[in-house]
This record gives sequence, structure tokens and C-alpha cells, in this order.
Amino acid sequence: MTRDTVIGLIVSVIEFGTLLYLAALGETIAEKSGVLNLGVEGMMAVGGMSAYWVGVETGNPWLALLVAAALTALFASLHGVVAVMFGADQVVSGLALTILGLGLAAFLGQGLVLEQPRATFGPWPLPVLSEIPWLGPTVFSMSSVSWLAAALGVVTWLVFTRTRAGLNLRAVGESAATADTAGLRVVATRMVAVALGGALAGAAGAYLTLSLAPGWNEGAIGGLGWIAVALVIFGAWRPGRVLVGALLFGGLLALGPRLQTFRCSEATEQTLCLSRSINPIVVSMLPYLLTVGVLIVLSIRSRNRPSVAPAAIGLPYRREER
Amino acid sequence: MTGYRLAPREQPVRGGQGLAFLVGLLVALIVGAVLLVAAGHNPLAVYGRMVETSLGSPRAWSATLTQAAPLGLAGLAVAVAGSMGLWNIGAEGQIIAGAIVGTWVARLGPDLPGPALIPLMLVAAVIGGGLLAAGPALARAHLGVNEIISTLMLNEVAIRLVRYLVNGPWKDPESAGFPVAPELPTQAALPTLFSRANIGVLIAAAVVAIFGFLSARSKWGYELRVAGSSAKAAEYVGISLRSKILTVLVLSGAIAGLAGGIRLGSTSRIVEGIAEGWGFAGIIVAALALMRPANVALVAVAFGALRVGGVAIKGEGVPAAIAEIIQALVLFGALTAAILATYRVVSATPKDGGEGVLAAADSVSATVDLAADSDPDDEAGESS
Repeated sequence: MTRDTVIGLIVSVIEFGTLLYLAALGETIAEKSGVLNLGVEGMMAVGGMSAYWVGVETGNPWLALLVAAALTALFASLHGVVAVMFGADQVVSGLALTILGLGLAAFLGQGLVLEQPRATFGPWPLPVLSEIPWLGPTVFSMSSVSWLAAALGVVTWLVFTRTRAGLNLRAVGESAATADTAGLRVVATRMVAVALGGALAGAAGAYLTLSLAPGWNEGAIGGLGWIAVALVIFGAWRPGRVLVGALLFGGLLALGPRLQTFRCSEATEQTLCLSRSINPIVVSMLPYLLTVGVLIVLSIRSRNRPSVAPAAIGLPYRREER
Repeated sequence: MTGYRLAPREQPVRGGQGLAFLVGLLVALIVGAVLLVAAGHNPLAVYGRMVETSLGSPRAWSATLTQAAPLGLAGLAVAVAGSMGLWNIGAEGQIIAGAIVGTWVARLGPDLPGPALIPLMLVAAVIGGGLLAAGPALARAHLGVNEIISTLMLNEVAIRLVRYLVNGPWKDPESAGFPVAPELPTQAALPTLFSRANIGVLIAAAVVAIFGFLSARSKWGYELRVAGSSAKAAEYVGISLRSKILTVLVLSGAIAGLAGGIRLGSTSRIVEGIAEGWGFAGIIVAALALMRPANVALVAVAFGALRVGGVAIKGEGVPAAIAEIIQALVLFGALTAAILATYRVVSATPKDGGEGVLAAADSVSATVDLAADSDPDDEAGESS
């Protein structure tokens, strides 16, 4: 294992972490307001396809990302209308959003499959700081989208914990009826939270198709959206812990395809290496299995302690049922 | 957004649910037509071709029923769990698990005659699907772990497990690099019923019919519905919630697993995409069937036709994804229409604001913090 392979791995961890964090942060916001949205996989597909489209047409990655975020927010609002305004089942509506998103992206993106990428977010080495050993070529050279994701995480944390808007959002997610009695606008709050969740999932999809794996095909998302859903639980609905989870799961995603380079070989001198081969496909199962493990641990813990989940999650709210 | 609210109708629209399905279908066809026009296709021609290839001849019907069989089983799996208020989102993975265990058994007995091998393979598939659901079932029954997320996660595990098998241990050495397992012995193929349909259609129809009867008429089905509507009532009348959750979720997985076995007996070998999205589509089927097994068959045939039509128009340059889009839109349309059948939209009366509201908002947040400290029984996913 040479210095370059380790640095390459860290860079990849940050890239996958950025992608997962954007999507999981959006889902955290939606779930904190009491709306489970299982449409992340489909929203990422819509965002990824539309970003690639705009990227190919204009060559401008930021425009592509913004358009993707806006369109996906609009798309997510379908879940908002059906599950929040009309109070239909959130599980069913969210899954239908995934199927619709994957279908729409495949249908509308058919002509993009053979297009060459024209817009991408490259590394962004900061002056002076990028000269620091280890940190320089990794953290201080990461792309502007990674900085954006980190900043959004801090902002979300601040809004959740320090502002009235965040307090209102959490109140709506804990008990919609109580929040309504107190004069908070339950439906409006949830609609905004769902749209924000969509925007962030769209941005994640955009980052995927523009930068992480440039290109579009209908299998592009490949289960990453479900990891984002898992991360929210893994991170106990807290932006900071979700970030730790995103880097951990991002690490597993980055490690999979690189496992071969960590095999011991006679030819090169390696200080740390694997003596046995580990199948990358088996490694790719770990995020999902870990999430189930965390769910079990959380459930055992919540026997003696309060649950960390928003109490009103998944429950539709209608005024007259007060 | 606060300019309206939903008020219950004094009398729900008669036949509202059936009407809702038709409204959903209409909405889906209109939006689908807009997409088709935008992509430069003639929607009437495309829809006509879809109907013709899926319902226009015995051969078309055989293809539709072949699709409807796994769809119906997946829908039934979701509906059986759903009738108790449980969510099995893992049918996709359970279909794969069924196909994996079925393949494993079929590989063990290549010399067995068909009448012995086929039942063995199907039973193995049932066990495989049940096994994958057993983990979430145990966790839900004994620890209260949210089954929505656990079954969802195991889908992705199963998808990767079959990927691992067909790329590794089970890879066909003669497949020229394609990630497929070797063909199963020829006697593992299910006997033909008519045209392209095999007896898998009959098996699926029988299973759906049996559960349709059981859930509507038997004590077992009644207990499920009681347990689903009120956990307290169920325990009061002596229904063990824990064993019900366990059996229902495992059974749900087993039914989905059977779909994997039937698929295996129709395609002769296991491949990565063996579940073809039926598990996810099954959730839509069950939702449209209002979690009633008796309705599942109807919706499954309709969606089976949609899928066959979707594949057929691929040959004319129309993406098959239009079928997925229509399926999802039918559900969105029907969900909304179903609510409008029982509620009507009225304009909301303006509320008074001011100081009192802000003070009340503060007290809510105080309640929230208190609730977080003092309510140990408050678990996620306890909506059932």
C-alpha cells in the first residue's frame, strides 16, 4: 500500500461521502418534519439525469447542479402533495416516487446515454493549504461541491438547534396536532421540508453524473439512494452523526473497487496489505447490513431510553382529526 | 397552502375506490401521452400497440399472465403483511432469495425427474424467501425494529448476493464472460400451460385465491385484521401479537420467494435481474388492491399487461420505461382520487395570530423536549 494509493482512497472516500451526505441531509430535513420519503433513489435519478442534460447542453456544472436541484424539488413536491396535503400513505407514495423517478429519468434521458460529459467539478486546491502533506492533496483539494455539502451540514445543524424555524420544523415532526394548535403551519412546513429534501437529493444526483461517475444511464443510481435513507437512521437524525455515517459508508463504497490494490504482492514492498482476497461485491453489502445492525441496537437502547426518531414520522396529519 | 383543508364527506362517494383506480389510470394515460408526444411518438398508436401485444391474442394473454403471476404473488406478499398493518418492502429481495435457494437445490439434484425436482425447487424457493424475511420478522416481533427499513435494506443485500454468485461461485464457465449461472437441468422447467404461459400461472392464481379466501373468511384472517387495527384489542382477545407478526412476515417473504421459484422454472437459469422490479411493483399492486388479496389478482393482470406492452413497444424505439411511469402515476392518481372520494376540499377559515400563538409555540417546543426525555415507549414505526 503506497502513499499514493492511500491518498487516492481518501479522495474517493470524500467524493462518495459528499454524494451520500447531500442526499442523506435532505432526507434528514424531510424526516425531521415528520415525512418519510422513500423516493430518494428516484429523486437522485431525476437530478442526475437533468444535471447531465444541462451539463451536456451548456458546459456549466453549477448551472446544471442548480437546475437539477430545482427540478428535483419540484418532483419531490409530488410526494408532498399526495402524502402531506392529501395525507396518503407516505410509504406507498414515496416508493411510487422512486419508481416514477427511475422511469422518467430512463425515458427522458434515453438520448443522453451516448453523450460525452462536458461539465464537471474538478479538484479545487486551496492556495498554501493544499501544500500540507496528507491533508493538502485530500481535504484541501476537494471539490467545491464537497465544501458546499459540508457548509449545508453546518447550516442545517445551526437551523435545527439554534433557530425558531428549526424548532418549528422539529415540533411539526414530533406532534403535528400540538404544533397546529400552537399556530404552526404544519402542511406548509412539511411541504418546504420535502422540497428541500428533493433539492438536496437532486444535487447529490447531479454530483454523481457530473463528477463522481460522469455520464448517464438508467442504472446510474444503483442503490445509492437507499444508502442515503439508511444513513438518516444510522446518524440518528442528527446532521453531525449523519456526516460520520456518510464518510463511513462512503469509505466502504470507495474501498470496494480498490481492494485488489491492497493485495500483498512480492513485487512491491508493502507495509500494510491484505493476505486474502476480499470480494468487492461482499463489501458493497456492508452499508445495508450495518444499517440493519444499527436499527437493532437503537431498538434495544430505546427500551430504556427515549427514541431518537421524530415521533410523528410517517403519520399523515389532517386538521379535523385533532 | 393554508387556504384549504380537507373535510370528511357526510357520505363517501359510492364505489369510490373502484372509481379512484379508473381516475388514476386516466391521469396516468394522459400524462403518459404528453410524454410520448414530447418524445415524438403518437400516443394513440403506442397505446394501441401496447393493448394489442398484451391482450389482443391468446399468445399476448399468455405473456401477460406470465408477468401477472410473479406480480400477483409479490402483491399478495405485501397485502398479507399489509392486512395486519405491517410493511414488507422486501419482496424484491425475497424473490431473489427464493431464486437463489431454488437454484441451489436444483443444482444438487440434476438427476431427479421433473415431477420430483420441480416441487423441490419451488419449496426451496418458498423457504428462501421466508428465510430472508425471518430476520426482519424476528427483529420486529421481539425488539420492535421497524420492518419497513430492515426489509428495504435486505433488498440491496439480496441484489448483491445474486451478483456475487453469478459473477463468482456460480458463474457459467461457458458463458463467454457474461455473468450468468449455468442452465438448470431441462426437467426443472415448468410444464407449458398454453402458448408462452406455464403452470406457474396456475400455481400463482391458486395461492392468491387461497389467501383471498383465508383473509376474508377464516379466523386467521379475522385475527390479522383485528391485530392490524388495534394492537390492544388483539391482546385483549388473546391474540399473541408477537407470534402473529412473526408468522405473517415470514409467510409474506415465503409468498414472494415462490415468485422467484416460478421465475426460475420459466427462465431456466438465475441471472442478476431475476426479480425484474416485481417486488417494488408488488407494493403498488397491493396498495391499489387496498391490501385485499382478492383484489390483487385483478390489479396484477392489469399491470402485467402494462409491462408486456411496455416491452413490446421497445422494438419501435419507445423506451419501456413508459410502463413504469404509467404504473407509478396510476398509483399517485388513485391515491389522490381515493382521498377525494371520502374528503372534500373546503376553504379554511382564517386563524387568529399574534402574541398568544408565539407563546404557545414556545410551550410546544418545551413539550417536545420533555417528550424526548420522558417517553420511553415512543418508538419509530409504531404507526401500526
